[in-house]
Amino acid sequence: MNPIIDIEDVSFSYRETHVPALNHISLAIGEGDFLGIIGPSGAGKSTLAACLSGAIPHHFGGTLYGAVHVADEDTCEVTLTDISRIVGSVLQDIDTQMVASVVEDELLFGLENFGVPHDEIERRLADALQTVGIADLRDREIATLSGGQKQKVAIAAIMALQPRVLVLDEPTAALDPASSLLVFDTLAKINREQNVTVVVIEQKVALLSTFCNRVVVLDNGKIALEGTPHEVFSHAEELQRIGVDSPRVARISNSLAHKKVCSQASPCLTVDEAEALIKHAVGNASHDTKRFAAPSPHAPRPATAQEPVVAFEHVDFAYPLGGAAVHDLTLKVRPGELIGLVGQNGAGKTTFTKLLTGLLKPDAGSVHVAGANTKTTPTSVIARSCATLFQNPDRQICRETVEDEIAFGLELHGTESTRAHEKARKVARRFGLPLDEAPFSLSRGQRQMVALASVLVVEPRVIVLDEPTSGLDYRECMTVMETVKQMAEAGCAVIMVCHDMEVISDFAERIAVMADGRILASGPSRELFAQPELMHAASIEPPQVIELARRLSQSVSPAFEGVGEVSDIVRITEEMVHCG
Amino acid sequence: MVNVIDYVPGTTLLHKLNPVAKLALAAAIILSTFLAQSYAMLIGLLALTLALGAYAGVVDRLLKLLRLLIPIALIMLVLQTAFMREGETLFAFVTDTGLITGSKACLRLLGVALPLVLMLMVTKLNDLANACVEKLHVPYRYAFTFTTALRFVPVFSQEMNAIIEAQTARGVEYDTKNPVKKLKLMLPLCAPLLISSVGKTDATALAAEQRGFYLRTRKSSYKRYPFAACDIAVLVFCVALIAAGAVL
Repeated sequence: MNPIIDIEDVSFSYRETHVPALNHISLAIGEGDFLGIIGPSGAGKSTLAACLSGAIPHHFGGTLYGAVHVADEDTCEVTLTDISRIVGSVLQDIDTQMVASVVEDELLFGLENFGVPHDEIERRLADALQTVGIADLRDREIATLSGGQKQKVAIAAIMALQPRVLVLDEPTAALDPASSLLVFDTLAKINREQNVTVVVIEQKVALLSTFCNRVVVLDNGKIALEGTPHEVFSHAEELQRIGVDSPRVARISNSLAHKKVCSQASPCLTVDEAEALIKHAVGNASHDTKRFAAPSPHAPRPATAQEPVVAFEHVDFAYPLGGAAVHDLTLKVRPGELIGLVGQNGAGKTTFTKLLTGLLKPDAGSVHVAGANTKTTPTSVIARSCATLFQNPDRQICRETVEDEIAFGLELHGTESTRAHEKARKVARRFGLPLDEAPFSLSRGQRQMVALASVLVVEPRVIVLDEPTSGLDYRECMTVMETVKQMAEAGCAVIMVCHDMEVISDFAERIAVMADGRILASGPSRELFAQPELMHAASIEPPQVIELARRLSQSVSPAFEGVGEVSDIVRITEEMVHCG
Repeated sequence: MVNVIDYVPGTTLLHKLNPVAKLALAAAIILSTFLAQSYAMLIGLLALTLALGAYAGVVDRLLKLLRLLIPIALIMLVLQTAFMREGETLFAFVTDTGLITGSKACLRLLGVALPLVLMLMVTKLNDLANACVEKLHVPYRYAFTFTTALRFVPVFSQEMNAIIEAQTARGVEYDTKNPVKKLKLMLPLCAPLLISSVGKTDATALAAEQRGFYLRTRKSSYKRYPFAACDIAVLVFCVALIAAGAVL
């Protein structure tokens, strides 16, 4: 059978003089595939998606070599409209994709345009809504939907056109883990039941490895690795070099295989697989736990007796027009602490950060930041001691050069201009940022670094991070987080909102779990992550390693209890196998 | 976020009218307001708009808009009375002719602004676009441009709010009480807003094309917008309204 999409030796550069975004790519996508594309930022993922959907060469200008065949037609020879009869694409920014204000009209738009007979439209519309599982949203205003629901509407609007291929560019970038999973469930269902080929660009490796039957790793415009998830994620070193994350359980099984503790060649991709593997490896080895050194406890830095720098006391807040209200928030953060705020979309995390920065004032209770009551202190004054790194750096950036941008915050707080610029240059050099470039000409990851640099340079006492890692690739994410960690070690209090539980468990020693506008619990991250009821109540998927350790401590040996790091699991398993 | 021109769902006759008839009604009220010379007619037209709003259940939003417009109208009144030098002086610089023309200009301003907004509140944008394409033979690309522009208003104002919040959290004094200072601080934000809107517009164009935008014709719309008896009645009423405006 011919592949539905056949890419033959394709190279593409946006400008003649630029480094090619794609460099001699050949790839055949078979009908019914569920293909995942992953790679660091700037590797050419979105460019590849644009080639598949015909946006290259029809919408974006540049130089294209080679040929892309969609259902045996060369994309250069047919119009974009004709390509889109076969390939439906869902863009990164969902709001821009919408053409209507009501869900039903959104679906009608494509159906009407492609001239679907009017007596068939009703059935197609109902079917598409049914498939995606949003039949109840048919008459809703799109503006009132959540991010996950909007994503499903976008998919339904494309599915109604009955494309043979669906191309999605980071469909879950703005979603919480539970909604991301639902979107992938929907895609898997479409793929399975209607044999629609799905091509998805995604950064979340755990999702890719569970749902895709093929994974392509892009690096510098070339295909670095290609194969089933098991094949691809067995190349741990290669992936690390490229700057792609791999599932934590895969890291465990890879290093176990590397140390010859177990012989399995293909890596584990799920907690179930890893549990089975370790159970098997340990086998009947003695389970005398006394012989094993207790796992290195996640050494908390000596609890400082210092006064908390952030104090929420029974804070209530409700938006005047309705929307996520918060109740009875009480939380203290001391200097040097790095605390993670976790919970679903709509749990009240953003409201919490806005109360903290003074953008919102509490209805009841009080918020103190660095000694100032937010109710009586203007936001611009609070900003001197409390800096925020927003999810979208583009909202923060407003100057013409990187140097001006970084110095801007200092100048606002009254630092003299030459001194501010001197400091700005120092920080920029540390991050390797070009001083004279316009911030908007930089890549997304670099813009985030500029925003981070302008937060650091003011040396705040409190840092608020709102999804600091979304839109960043693994390597950029680690750079950002390492820097934040250094800031915490230097005595800064860090409050981090993040959907990536792996990042939270790696960096935050304490977490506060939020659901429905309340703080359900706050405490050491490993303890809380290991409480299944709590995680369930907040709809959070615990980090793989902690979940694995919890299960192993019950099924294999209590020695695994409370373990939270890949290396510890490997070490304990190794000791058990060798001693046993 | 609540926007003034957001569609307010409802089942009143005003909601059910053909979008073209609603457009005609709004246009007739506006035209009549321009033509009318007497206080009675001007106030009557304004009252008619508010009554229609009350009937469709959107009067609270109309009043909210009215509150925003009244200060502008008052500024106009002051300017008019200051520049109008004819007639007898009543007090200070105010003449009777000035007061009369000024107050009428105010009423006209209010009477012109409200009907269109009322119409947008009771009509879905897609219905408006499709009906205009079907009945008025407006090319679809213009109708689409118009509705997309309106749809982007709340999107951009949200973006603007997010940018202002981000800048405030950085220490820019947007919470200042001085409006001139605030405006001065807001100007540099035009660049980020413009950059993000150009990107968004381009993505929208691509998405629309990938869903067959260029194949669309006048007959594409699934929903039809035939004129019913009440639509004809409204059109007749529109003619009467304009005539009344010209005479009174």
